[in-house]
Parts: sequence; structure tokens; C-alpha cells
Amino acid sequence: MASVYIPVQNSEEEVRVNLDQLPRDASDILDILKAEQAPLDLWLIIAREYFKQGKVDQFRQILEEGSSPEIDDYYADIRYERIAILNALGAYYSYLGKIETKQREKEEHFILATQYYNKASRIDMHEPSTWVGKGQLLLAKGEVEQASAAFKIVLDGDRDNVPALLGQACVEFNRGRYSDSLELYKRALQVYPNCPAAVRLGIGLCRYKLGQFEKARQAFERVLQLDPENVEALVALAIMDLRTNEAVGIRKGMVKMQRAFEIYPYCAMALNYLANHFFFTGQHFLVEQLTETALAVTNHGPTKSHSYYNLARSYHSKGDYDKAGVYYMASVKEISKPHEFVFPYYGLGQVQIKLGDFRSALSNFEKVLEVYPDNCETLKALAYIYVQLGQTDKGQEFIRKATKIDPRDAQAFLELGELLILSDTGAALDAFKTARTLFKKGGEEVPIELLNNIGVLQFERGEFELAKQTFKEALGDGIWLSFFSETNKSSIDAATSTLQFKDMQLFHDLESNGHHIDVPWDKVTVLFNLGRLLEQLNESGTASILYRLILFKYPDYIDAYLRLAAIAKARNNILLSIELVNDALKVNDKCPNALSMLGELELKNDDWVKAKETLRAASDATDGKDSYATLSLGNWNYFAAVRNEKRNPKLEATHLEKAKELYTRVLIQHSANLYAANGAAVVFAEKGHFDVSKDIFTQVQEAASGSVFVQMPDVWINLAHVYFAQGNFTLAVKMYQNCLRKFYHNTDSQVLLYLARTHYEAEQWQDCIKTLQRAIHLAPSNYTLRFDAGVAMQKFSASTLQKAKRTADEVRATVAGLQNAVRIFSQLSAASNLHIHGFDEKKIDTHVGYCTHLLSAAKVHLEAAEREEQQIRERHELARQVALAEDARRKAEEQRKFQMERRKQEDEIKQVQQQEEHFKRVKEQWKSSTHSKRRERSDDEDGGGAGEKKRRKGGKKRKKDKHSKSRNDTEEMEADMMDEQEMEDDADMNEPQTQMNDVEENPHGLLAAAGLEDSDAEDEPVGPSSTISRRRQALSESDDDEPIMRQSSPVREYSADMQESDGEIRDEDKTHGDEASDEE
Amino acid sequence: MKLGGIKSVENAHDDSVWAVTWAPATATRPPLLLTGSLDETVRVWKSDELILERTNTGHCLGVASVAAHPLGSIAASSSLDSFIRVFDVDSNATIATLEAPPSEVWQMRFDPKGSILAVAGGGSASVNLWDTSTWELIATLSIPRVEGPKPTDKSGSKKFVLSVAWSPDGKRLACGSMDGTISVFDVPRAKFLHHLEGHFMPVRSLVYSPYDPRLLFSASDDGNVHMYDAEGKALVGTMSGHASWVLCVDVSPDGASIATGSSDRTVRLWDLTMRASVQTMSNHTDQVWGVAFRPPGGNDLRTGRLASVSDDKSISLYDYS
Repeated sequence: MASVYIPVQNSEEEVRVNLDQLPRDASDILDILKAEQAPLDLWLIIAREYFKQGKVDQFRQILEEGSSPEIDDYYADIRYERIAILNALGAYYSYLGKIETKQREKEEHFILATQYYNKASRIDMHEPSTWVGKGQLLLAKGEVEQASAAFKIVLDGDRDNVPALLGQACVEFNRGRYSDSLELYKRALQVYPNCPAAVRLGIGLCRYKLGQFEKARQAFERVLQLDPENVEALVALAIMDLRTNEAVGIRKGMVKMQRAFEIYPYCAMALNYLANHFFFTGQHFLVEQLTETALAVTNHGPTKSHSYYNLARSYHSKGDYDKAGVYYMASVKEISKPHEFVFPYYGLGQVQIKLGDFRSALSNFEKVLEVYPDNCETLKALAYIYVQLGQTDKGQEFIRKATKIDPRDAQAFLELGELLILSDTGAALDAFKTARTLFKKGGEEVPIELLNNIGVLQFERGEFELAKQTFKEALGDGIWLSFFSETNKSSIDAATSTLQFKDMQLFHDLESNGHHIDVPWDKVTVLFNLGRLLEQLNESGTASILYRLILFKYPDYIDAYLRLAAIAKARNNILLSIELVNDALKVNDKCPNALSMLGELELKNDDWVKAKETLRAASDATDGKDSYATLSLGNWNYFAAVRNEKRNPKLEATHLEKAKELYTRVLIQHSANLYAANGAAVVFAEKGHFDVSKDIFTQVQEAASGSVFVQMPDVWINLAHVYFAQGNFTLAVKMYQNCLRKFYHNTDSQVLLYLARTHYEAEQWQDCIKTLQRAIHLAPSNYTLRFDAGVAMQKFSASTLQKAKRTADEVRATVAGLQNAVRIFSQLSAASNLHIHGFDEKKIDTHVGYCTHLLSAAKVHLEAAEREEQQIRERHELARQVALAEDARRKAEEQRKFQMERRKQEDEIKQVQQQEEHFKRVKEQWKSSTHSKRRERSDDEDGGGAGEKKRRKGGKKRKKDKHSKSRNDTEEMEADMMDEQEMEDDADMNEPQTQMNDVEENPHGLLAAAGLEDSDAEDEPVGPSSTISRRRQALSESDDDEPIMRQSSPVREYSADMQESDGEIRDEDKTHGDEASDEE
Repeated sequence: MKLGGIKSVENAHDDSVWAVTWAPATATRPPLLLTGSLDETVRVWKSDELILERTNTGHCLGVASVAAHPLGSIAASSSLDSFIRVFDVDSNATIATLEAPPSEVWQMRFDPKGSILAVAGGGSASVNLWDTSTWELIATLSIPRVEGPKPTDKSGSKKFVLSVAWSPDGKRLACGSMDGTISVFDVPRAKFLHHLEGHFMPVRSLVYSPYDPRLLFSASDDGNVHMYDAEGKALVGTMSGHASWVLCVDVSPDGASIATGSSDRTVRLWDLTMRASVQTMSNHTDQVWGVAFRPPGGNDLRTGRLASVSDDKSISLYDYS
């Protein structure tokens, strides 16, 4: 048992003080010390003992008493002990200052420490221990350079002064000059081999910093041999073990860390590392406790920062972003330079992204990037932020850099691809493909989404076979294989149920046969896309099975219903299609796509009022934001306008105005909507602004070429219509022909009819007739086409006969043409007995009569022409005589013409008089009829009788004419031709209605796009969501009617009789038009 | 099975070629190919070199259908003006001119024995049967009105008949119409049997399997080829793949495959055991209106031949094996 003996003054006795049993009250000892005037070293020993026992107050009391001026006086010549006491106090306050966390107290402690050291210096300037103490104080204050100066003073005096050596080593260590530091530690050890373990700790740390891990480990282990309880060494070793990154190492490291923790639970470093460990094991509760303790015990910036970082990370991983953000921020605040510890910046950035604070996140990630300019994760994060901020270009730049730095980072390529989808599908596809290759090379499974994206892009680029391969790869193995692989086809007779679109029996059968039908949720989209692709490849049967498979497992998948409905619609099975759409509406009765489609189907069924309601519901379901629904409504109005023909101009104007408004609304929302632009242009054309509409159509046409999803034949047709209306027949013909070839596989008889009409107007009779024959061949049941063909033949013949000069061949062709026309008309006449075609027998009879009449005339012409030919032949033989004969003939002809002219004039006058009479009669009839449409209609029917009478009269007249000279025929022919022309125009008026059906085909297309796009939307940023809904829209013929109406007006003046028949024809054609649209 | 191109004749006609058929071999000559065109002519071609043998004129409008008698000496052609011209294949002598107003004339087919010519009657909703010895109309098979369609549906009450096909035993006749329905008749009893449903767009071509009198193939504007059990009223299979209307279908003499022509400008060969398209020929540049397998018989005819005609004015001949 250690004890000290205080010599009793003026005696030989000593007071024995047992060091283990020092009195609690230091005053007792002090009294003894003072009373016995004990040597100062005893004071120091006792004070130190108190300190060792943790009795700091007593320690301070003794030393403060021992350094009082009183003592100074008394022990004035005992300098060393006095200095030692002062230095002890200085060291004590240095230590207090060092551990104190509050700035003010810290300062105070340092000031006290400085005072004591200064006092010690005053006693002896050269005392090395004072300088060492001062050095330590300066180190504690962080004034490394001055500390170094202090140590240097000592070392200059005694280069083996161990404390100074240690101090200087510490200085060098802090300066980062680890090798110098190591040298100093080594010297200290050489000078004083028994020095405390801490010296070796220093050596270990230096070696660690120098990267000499093995030697560092030896040093730490030596420390532990000397002092098994040395926490720092334990921690250092543990860290080294942990750094090995092997399971065994980590386990060993954790054991050491735990021991360190048990020895001294307040070592912040150990706490941090433990927390770090528990973070990775997921014990967040422990993480928080440990880091909070660590924070409480340390004041060291980087360590605190680390603790905060641990804490933040823990909250981050728990999803508590707010708290995580706060702690990351705290961690960042503890760091003076990002270079020291950059992780919290990264974490903070991540949290800020989560919280939507992109700008702050941006600056944090940029700091990380400064430290690690090639860090891919950071680059990707930055790219993401830039994209979120709308700076896509910059985003692309960063992600590209990431892919360049690590060309094996599949994830980066994937993200690059997703960025590029919007701007450059080709590059996006390349990026996706690279990502796929990388995944495969890395032996990882390629994500289904990636394959899906590749497939969709390939699909979009028209690489259908590749897309199919990709989709199949994405789907992998599954029940679906039995539906589309050819080898298995025979095992399941899928074909039988292809038509029963709602038939699920197939799948029930499969299940009962022991097949397990499983469709993983992540493959539904791919299945759907594959279905879309198969449709594009015209394998709609297989596609329908895939859709049904989806519905079998996921009965709420609306798009699959809609696709099935679209397939049914493409096959013209309207009722089934409606049924399927209604199924979709059962899932979601507000689904705008389904409603739009239903609306179109109802239109197709000629259910106008219902269709309008449905379309309106579709528009309402999206608050009018769905362009498709708005466009449909616009189209509805447009067709309502033209449907009404010229009967109600007021209503027409209202509908047109409404249509224009709706188109404009869509254009405001989506300025790039082709269909809306097309619609608006149609309205312009309707109003006669051909130049404006032509410009718009041309632009739309340019924009529409390029994507497989945008197919707009209508704009071609409309453009052709405009050319036609402007009289540019050559261009119109070209446009119609291109459109037919490009979009309809030359199968659309309607466009052929437009083409024929253009030929007709351009007076290219043969082309017109050929075109009409093609149309008839394509649409055999459309009798209007035959009627038109008959009219064209008749017109052709008449125009040939009208020609001043014609060869015998021409006349022969004319005769043949007329015979054909007669046959066609008589066939129609016979057919109209059988069917309700809307053709009036009498009307046709008129044509027949006229043609036969013309025929007989033609025969005369033929004879004349043949005779002429004969003469020509003779002329060849006898040139002179012929010349003479010709002269004579010419003269004779002139005379005849003159006579004829005169007779004609007379006839005309007579006719006009007659017609005026007719007109009066008709006027009277009209007066009796009201203006209501219904009445008008029945009137017309009644008028049919009247017209009949009149026609009979006309017939008589014609008969009379027939008896008159044949020259007269030409003129009447002309009149009739006009009649015919009008008739044809009227027939053309059916077109808007037939066209409606055209337009109604849209939803198929729309959903083709919409369906796929929807699926893309599910996959996040897959395909470019071209919001432009597909829209077909056609300009009606009626704008063409305008010039023709003008043309026809003189006819009206000409003969009242004809006007009457006009009305009749129109009525007929009206009914016929209805029928035509029904047929569709 | 596979098709190999042998020869194509560009500008075989002055305008679109709409109809094609083979006149079987006779004792004195091998089979001949007959084509009909919008240029109002019927042309006779020698196989395999496709040498033009003769050009028959006499129609006033485009020739929409040609049919050849199974014995090979007689053929019939019809144009849009609904006249049927029956002529001697070798001499081009007109044997008869037929018309049965108000019936129109669309597809024509001789029955397998050659005693009857069946003619699709268009808007008359009937098929006319002509006796081939007297050239008199012996029967008109009318499609009964379908019950209960919507009253507004004016065309729905009448079937517009486009195509006809004889069963190999000659007892059944099927006809396809504009609305997509196929009607089956019992010829000996001149009785309508039933409809075959499944198409909703025009059925422009029909053909029976040469071996199975129940199996009927139909080509429709909906782009699909259907296989029906014509007796059991059942749809046996669907084959899809054409991008547009399927205009014509013919079955190979061995009954193992069918060929189709489409508005998508292609000719496809379909394997009936796999029920899948095995080959696509895209040598035509416009709609393919007709395909015809050469009937078996004659000398060295173990190899099959398929001819196709198109709006592009050309004729193509393929080797079928």
C-alpha cells in the first residue's frame, strides 16, 4: 500500500499519509502540508493522487494552494517544484479546454492554462517542461504552427526530450507529414523505450496513414500487449479489420469494436463504427442510440459529422426524409471542406431530390462531383435533376458522361435511353440495346421493362420482326407460348375460338387439363404490346387470344377490351364491338377512350343523337381536356352541318361554327394536333378559303409522314379536294392516286369516285369510265357507281358527237359507249324494280330514252363519218377532184349552218315561252307547299306524280324534237347534259354521308395508338406519348358543289321543267344516300 | 411445300387483270391459262412460257370473271355489263351469249362434272344455274331473306352475291355475299340449307377442298381466310396475315395448301396442317385479283403450277411443290 510521509517540522517524525485513503476534504491534508511546511514535491504527489482517483476538485484545491503567492514567497528558491505545480495546473486547464464543448468556457479554460504556463515561465524561462506544456496547449487550441515553435525550443535545447518529441510528432501528424511524425515517434521510443503505450499508438497511426497497414497493425497490437485496455488501439485495429471488407475481418473487427465499447463506452469513433455496422445490419434503433451517444461525447468536427451522417442515413433508409435531411444538414455543417467527408452531401442531395428541392440537391451533388468527378452515381443523379428541372440537354450530357466513364453500367445506359426517348428514338434504342447487352454480359437478368421499351421502340420504327423477338424475349416462358408458337399450335386449337371474342372457354379448358395459367403482373404490358404488334402484322386472331388471356387474369384491363372491340370493328362486327366496349365501360364507366370509341361505333350505326351524347360524356369525363373527344364532337358538328345539305343554311352555319370552335379549342391545348388542324382547314375550305386551307393541309401532310402511328389519308384527300375545287385537275388526280396507293391498298371505291369525278370535270372521259369500272369492281353493290358510269359514257358520246371533226373510229366508239350506257341504265332500271336504290325508274328511263335517241343520231353520224372516210380514200386517188369537192362541200355546209342557226334561234324562243308557262304552273304548286322539311319531302313525293306528268310531256316534246332535224339534237343534248351533270353532282352529294362512315373508322386507329400509349404510360417513360390522337377526317364534296351550283343556275332559268326534276332527283338521291350509309 | 417463281409477263393486258383460270388439258393440247382484264379482253396463254395464244374481244366493259369447263374445251367469260360469253377455247367461236336480267354476273364456276355453270347473281341475291348442253337457265337458287334485321338496314335484307363454289361431289354450292355471310345450297334438290357466319365484310372468293366435301375456304375483305365445316355450320379455323382485303383463294390439287391473293399486293401460300402462312410472294406491284392452281391431268404434270394476276397488268406463274 503506497503512502507518503510528510516530515513533521523540527522533528524526526513523519506523518504517514496513506495514498489510498486520502481524506475526502483536501483541506485536512492542506492543513498538514502547510503546518509542516512539507516539500512542494509532496504537494504535487498528493494532488496527482487525488487526480488519479478522479477527485478533481481536491486536486485543484491543493495545486491552487500550492501555487498561491504565499507559497511563492515561502518556497521562493524551490523553483522546479513551483514550476511543476504551475505546469500541472496549466496542463489540467488545457485538458479542460480541450474537452469543453462550449466555446466560452473553452476559451476561459485556455486562458487560465495560458496564465499558469506564463507564470511558470516567469519563474524559469528555460524550463523545458513549461514549453512542452505550452506546446500542448497550443495544439489543443489548434495553433499547430506555434505549438511546433514551442516544441522546437525544447528540442533545440535537448533533442531527446521525450514529451517535446511526442508533441512535435503530434504537430507533424496534424500537418499531415506522417513520415516526419513517424520519425519523431521512433526517436521518442529509442530515447525512452519504456514510454507509455500511447507512443506506439502514434507510430501505428502514422504507419496507417502512410498505408503501411501491416506495420501499423503490429504497432497497435504491441500497444494492446502493453495496455490491453487501450481503446484507441482497439478501435484502430477494429477499423483495420472492418476495412478488409471480408466477412471474417468484419466479424473480428466488430468483436474488437465491442470490446472497446465495453472498456470505454464513450469513444465516439467506436460508437460511430458500431453505428455504421448496425446500420448495415438494419438495427436502426441501435444506430440512433449509438450515434446520439457519440454526438454527446465528442466535440471533434469530423467525428460529429460522421455521427450525424450515420443518424441521417438511418432515417433516410427508414424513409423519414425530413429528419434525414436535418441530420445530413447537421453533418454537412460540421465539415469545413467537402473533400474531407463528402458522403453527407450525397445523402443530402438524395433527400432533397426526394423532397423535390432540386436546386439544393443540384448544388450538393455538384460538390460531390468536385471531389469525385468521375462518379457515375453522382452523374446520374445530376442528370436526373437536370431532367426534372427541364434542362434535358444538360441531363443528357451528364448521363452520356456517366456512360462514357463506365461503359459497363447498364443502369446508366437504361437511363440514357429513357432520356432520349423523347427526343431521339433511334439513339434511345441504341442506348437500350447497349444496356441489354451489358445486363446479359454481366449475367444479370435483363429487366422486363427494358425489353419492353426496346420492343416498343422497334415497333415504332417499323422493325416489326425484331420487336416481336424482343417482346417474346421479355415474356420468356409461359402459357402464352402455346398460343403463338407454331410448334404448339396443334395442341391447342386456338383458331376455333378466335371469333368468339368473349370466349374464355379456351382458358378454362386449359386449366381443367392441368395447365396452370399464370400471367405475372409485370408481363401484362408486354403481352398487350405483343398483341398490338400482332395486330400490326395482321395476325389479329392471335392478338385477340392474347388480349383475352390478359382479361382472363385481369378482368379490369380496359385497354384489352378496347383492342378486342377494335379488332371486331375492323372486321365490321359492329354489334360485338359495341358489346366489348360496354364491357370496358362496366370496369370504368368514365373511361374516356371507351366512351369515345362507343361514340364512334354509334355513329357507325347511324345513331347520331346517342353518339353525340356519348362523345359529350367522353369529353366531360376528362374535363374537356381529351383532344380526341373534343375532336370527335367537332367532327360530329361538321358532319351535322354538311349532312343537312343546303336545306338549312342557318343550321349549317351554326354547326360549322361550333365545329370550328371545337377544333380551335384542341389546337389551343395542343398546338401540334394534326387532326385538329386538319379539321380547322376543312372548315376553312367549307367557307371557300381555299388558299388558307391548302396551306394548312400541306403542313399537316408534311407533319403526318414519318410515323407508323400517324396515318392521315384524309389530309391527302382534302388537299386533292382543294386542288379539284381550284380547278387544278392534274394535281388533284395525282393526289387521289397517291393517297389510294399509299393508304388504301387501292381498295377505296370512294376515293376512286373522287378520282372519276376529277377526270369527268377534266373531260377525260375514258379515264373517268375506267376509274368508275374499277370502283364498281371493288364495290359491286354500289349502284350509284354504275349510274355514274352510265352518265360518263353518255357524256363521252355526246361530247364526241359534238366535236366538229371526228373519225369514223371515234364515232364507232361512241356508238359502243352509248350501247353500254343504255345497257347500264336499263339494268339499273330493272334492278330498281328489285331493290330500293333510290333511283327513279322514270329518271333512268329518261336516260335510256335519251341514249337510244342519241344512238340513232349517232348512227347517222356514223354513216356520215364513214362516208367521209370513204371520200377521203377517194380523195387520195383523185386529189384535185377532191379539193374541188371539198370546196363545194364547205360552201354547202356554211349555208346549212346558217340555216340551222336561224332555226335554232326560233326554236329557242319557242321553248322559252313554253317553259315560262311551265314555270308559272310550278310556282303555283310551290305556293301550296310549306317550308317544313317533312312537308317538302312528301311534297316531293307528291311532286313525283306531277313531275311524272311533266316528264311525259317532256317526253312528248322530245319525241317531237326527234322528228325535227337532227341538228337540233345537239342543243337539247346540251340541256340534258347539264341536267345530267347536276344529277351527278347530286349523286356526289351522297358522299359526305358515306364519308362519315369513313371517319367513323377512327377509333380503331385511335385506340391503336392510345392503347399502346397507355401501356407505355404504365411503364413510366417508355414510348413517346404522342398525345395526338389519331383522327381521320375528310373534307366533304360539298365545297365542290358550290361552283357547280352556280353552273346549274342558268339551267334553272332555262327550264322550269328541269328545276322540278331537280328537286325530284335530289330527293331520290337523298334516300339513296341514306341507303348507302346504311350499307356501310 | 413451296412456291418458286417461273415467269412473269409484264403488261400482259393493257389494263388491270381481274380474272384468271386454267382450261384443263385436252387430248390435243396441254392446259391453257385464261385471263380477263379491264381492257375488255380475255387472253389465252400457253404454259409454262406464258406465250400469248390469242386475244378474245367481244366484251364492252371490264372482264370480271372467267371460268373453264372441266373438260377444257369450253370456257365462259363475263364482264361488268353482265353478259356471259361462252366460247370454244381453241377456236374462240362463240357458243352462247347468256344473260338473265335483272341478275348481274359476278363469279362463275362450272360444276365438277361440267353439266352446270353457276353464276353469282349480285344484287338479285341468287345464283343462276345454266345447263351446259342447252345453255338454258335451269334454276335460280335464291337466298331467303334474313329475319329480323333492323328496318332501316335496307341492304341487309338482301344479300349481294359475289362468289360461288362447288363442292367436289357437285352436290353442294356455296355463295359468298357483300355482307360477309356464306350461303350453302343443296343443288340436286335446289334448296337453301344454311348460312355460315363469321365474316362481316364482302366474301369475294370461295373454294371447297378437293378431297373433303365439307371443308370450305373463304376469302374476305376483313383480311382473313376462314375454314368452315360447310355441313356442320362450324368455323374450323381462321388464318390471318394479309394486310388488306383477301381477294381470291384457291386450293392446291393435293389439298394440302391454299393460295391467296390480296390487296396488299402479295400472294401467300398457307400450309393447312399448320394453318399458317408459309410463304409470301411480293412480286406484284398492285392488288392481286386472282390466283389459280393448275388442275392435274395431261402429260408430265406431276409438278404443280400456280398463276396469279394483278391490277399491275401482269401475270405470274409459279412452280408449286
